[in-house]
Amino acid sequence: MSKIWDFHGGVHPVENKAQSNQMPIVTMAIPKQLILPLNQHIGKPAKAIVEPGDYVLKGQLIACAQGFVSANIHAPSSGQVSAIELRTLPHQSALTGTCIVIDTDGKDQWIALSPTLEPESLSNSDLLHIIQAAGITGMGGAGFPSVVKLQPKAKIHTLVINGAECEPYITSDDRLMREYADEMIKGIQLAQKLLGQPRCLIGIEDNKPEAIAVLTQVVGLLSKNSASTHPSIEVCVIPTKYPSGGEKQLIEILTGQQVPHGGIPADIGIVCQNVGTVKAISDAVMLGQPLINRITTVTGKAAANAGNYEVLIGTKVSDLLAFANVDMTKTSRLVMGGPMMGFTIQDTHTPIIKSSNCLLAAEDLELAPVANHHSCIRCGLCEVACPAQLLPQQLFWFAKAEEFEKAQDHNLSDCIECGACAWVCPSQIPLVQYYRFAKGRVKDLANEAHIAELSRVRFESREQRLIDDKLAKEEKRKNRAATAAAAQAEKRAANPNAQDPIAAAMARVNAQKQAKAMDAEPKSHTQKYKELKTAAAITRTKLNKTSKALANALAKDHELAQGLQTTVSELTEKAMHAQAALQAYEAKLGLDPEKEKTLQVDVAKANAMVRKLEKALATAEEPKDVEAELVKARSSQTKATDALTNHQANLKASPISAQES
Amino acid sequence: MALITLSSPHHHSLSKTSRIMALVLLATLPGLAVQSYFYGYGTLINLVWASALALAFEALILRLRGRPVAPYLLDGSALVTAFLLALALPPFSPWWLTLVGVSFSIVFAKHLYGGLGSNPFNPAMVGYALLLIAFPVSMTQWAGTEITLTFGQQWHWFWLESINGDIDAYTRATALDIMRHTKGLTLSEVANSNPDLALGLTASMWVNLAYLLGGIALLVTKVFTWHAPVAMLVGLGFCAALFHMGEPDLYPSASQHLLTGATMLSAFFIVTDPVSGATSRKGKLVFGLGVGILVFIIRSYGSYPDAFAFAILLMNLSAPLIDTYTKPKAYGHKPKAPSSQGSN
Repeated sequence: MSKIWDFHGGVHPVENKAQSNQMPIVTMAIPKQLILPLNQHIGKPAKAIVEPGDYVLKGQLIACAQGFVSANIHAPSSGQVSAIELRTLPHQSALTGTCIVIDTDGKDQWIALSPTLEPESLSNSDLLHIIQAAGITGMGGAGFPSVVKLQPKAKIHTLVINGAECEPYITSDDRLMREYADEMIKGIQLAQKLLGQPRCLIGIEDNKPEAIAVLTQVVGLLSKNSASTHPSIEVCVIPTKYPSGGEKQLIEILTGQQVPHGGIPADIGIVCQNVGTVKAISDAVMLGQPLINRITTVTGKAAANAGNYEVLIGTKVSDLLAFANVDMTKTSRLVMGGPMMGFTIQDTHTPIIKSSNCLLAAEDLELAPVANHHSCIRCGLCEVACPAQLLPQQLFWFAKAEEFEKAQDHNLSDCIECGACAWVCPSQIPLVQYYRFAKGRVKDLANEAHIAELSRVRFESREQRLIDDKLAKEEKRKNRAATAAAAQAEKRAANPNAQDPIAAAMARVNAQKQAKAMDAEPKSHTQKYKELKTAAAITRTKLNKTSKALANALAKDHELAQGLQTTVSELTEKAMHAQAALQAYEAKLGLDPEKEKTLQVDVAKANAMVRKLEKALATAEEPKDVEAELVKARSSQTKATDALTNHQANLKASPISAQES
Repeated sequence: MALITLSSPHHHSLSKTSRIMALVLLATLPGLAVQSYFYGYGTLINLVWASALALAFEALILRLRGRPVAPYLLDGSALVTAFLLALALPPFSPWWLTLVGVSFSIVFAKHLYGGLGSNPFNPAMVGYALLLIAFPVSMTQWAGTEITLTFGQQWHWFWLESINGDIDAYTRATALDIMRHTKGLTLSEVANSNPDLALGLTASMWVNLAYLLGGIALLVTKVFTWHAPVAMLVGLGFCAALFHMGEPDLYPSASQHLLTGATMLSAFFIVTDPVSGATSRKGKLVFGLGVGILVFIIRSYGSYPDAFAFAILLMNLSAPLIDTYTKPKAYGHKPKAPSSQGSN
């Protein structure tokens, strides 16, 4: 017997399996109505190929797989398609989905089947085709299309068959292994053939001794008869510990290997199938029957006839509950699946689907009471229990504080939601719910980030496009110019004597300009004079200002003083130059403002003297003296006035006056 | 019956915080009994008084915080704090000393930081450290093991702090105290000259063994894992053995370190506090080791004879850092395990 490994953590909830595993499997009567959701599996929903009103036979294909990861759906019994419409799905949140509704006619009439008598003669592709056509999905709970798992890219060394059934209460796999061992083994051999004949390990928890006994016997007989022709199949008894039936945990128990983070078992050469799935493979190949029924456990103290039932896919939960005599007045919590990972349903008109392994109608005291949870004391029991080796208490704090990055950093995505942490939590915190919330938010955020990224890319490509357009235009323009220039050059080359019209025009313009400048020269005297005056004034003002600043700076002993000193001396020089230039120009023009001023002062003085003497004459005692003085003054007044008039006349004759007039 | 919607799992182990706390309280009883046998009724009186105070303060502050009083009061966490503080206090503690310690533990160290589960420091140790610093004299009043006081005498002292004669006639230095303050003598000389040392060592050995017994019971009932306490004892024992080997006359032996003072009480009842400790098992190893080493250092070189309060508070400070660096490798993150190909 192979070595058995252990996995980290795990818990031992009360098993309660005896409630339902005592009775052999009972085939349930055909219900009046079957509801077949188009999406019973992981992947794309199937596409209905029947119309309301169509009559369908048992086993007839009614919905086609869409794409690689999808699955066919067949009519579980004969009857009429009464509707294709939205119905409540078996889902925690009571989502609705498109379902094909069949009103059965009770005849249960099969479509023509094509069983294979010698499966060994079939090619792998034929086998895969049969399994794909039969619409087989994982029967353990997740519902992944089996055909995908049976054609892995990597080389497979081990086929793990999951018969652990670690969830409390559920016994459908237990009964199946006891009653359909031969079919199971046939299915395993087919799977081995498809996978390149790897060894097979069947993992069964040691709380199912009957199933172990039956399978060991069948396998023993088989190896005795055909040891040489078949790869090994081995029954591995593993300790009962939840969740040993988790795919990753079972692989670790049986092989000691861990499926790498983010990978699939095939990455380490392992494929895992549920016992129900290999039985369905056998049925599809050996009998030609598609997947139209399954074994479902109905259990809980509210179920008078707790046990396992072979039910048609699409049977309403309410019909199955009635068939098992469940007293719905005794239960307030109907769980689909097991007590650890199952979900509650409220609408009992929802159907049994390919992955529905259990209906748990427990009495109120049977399951955990609805408790008010307490504060986390970080006791660490959850860490001890976690089969994924996470730190559930830390994840809880992060989820609560909505620190999703930290939660991801603590490997939130590796949580398998087995519920072991919440099961042991002394504060009765609904930990799994917190993780689901955090996972949902992480997904939302990733979506948002993705959308933002798309917008960014879109925006950037638009910007780039605009720039490209601009550049292209520029390029075009340049090209055009180059072509034109080339054409021009060609023209010139063809006719070298012809003058360049542009050069000619330029020359003309220049000549005109020059002529104008020559004309304007004499007129610019005033301007130049004014300019010089302004320049002198500006330099003076600047000098004054800077001198003041310098005085200030010196007074305050400012560090700028030295700089200012330099500036002042520069400005003084400039002002002197400007003044000199102005005076030189005035001299050149014959202008002498100083002289004019002096003359004007002389006139004013003479005028004043005359007025003074005239006044004095009026009041004089000796008018003769005054009169003589007055005559003198009047003559000097006339002289001064003449001089001024002369000077002004001279000025007028100068070029400036000529210009101004 | 109307069907309800609930998130999985629908099953529960029915373990409860109050059960864990009750187990911890029960596990202190052997230690309490032995401590009372050697040191008289003081610890018992203290314990009852501290418990009453803890419940009263817990109720008061829960009320002030607008939290449901009954469920939190019944979870037993306040009682655990009261027990740990009362067991750590000397038997001659007067009523007001316990009052100050308990009120500070519950109100400040626990509830002002958010109450149960949110306190970064061990509340009992915060209270203890406060008393040690603020009332150093009162905190050294350990009874002599050979002295037996009647309940009445102890009761009288507890409330009125008066006793027939001088209190110093009734108190003795603890073994750790004697070994710490050797006044220049070697340990063997001290042992020869001071009969109190041998008496103290015997008494504290039995007390420590009793707490060890309670601790093992908690380990067996899986209240905590072995990591933190064992790491602490190893850390302390290793350091003590190493130094004792070098200078046997200056450093007490490992067994003396492990079986005196509050070693076992701390190892199994305080270092194991999940709220203020490290989270992962690797983290708990580091945490425990740190406490052990710090205790040795403070006992050997510090000015206080025993060191658990400070060592634990210091490690409480480091717990978040330890957590950051001791995250366990999750499933599927390990380097590939050896292939099982050849195993059959």
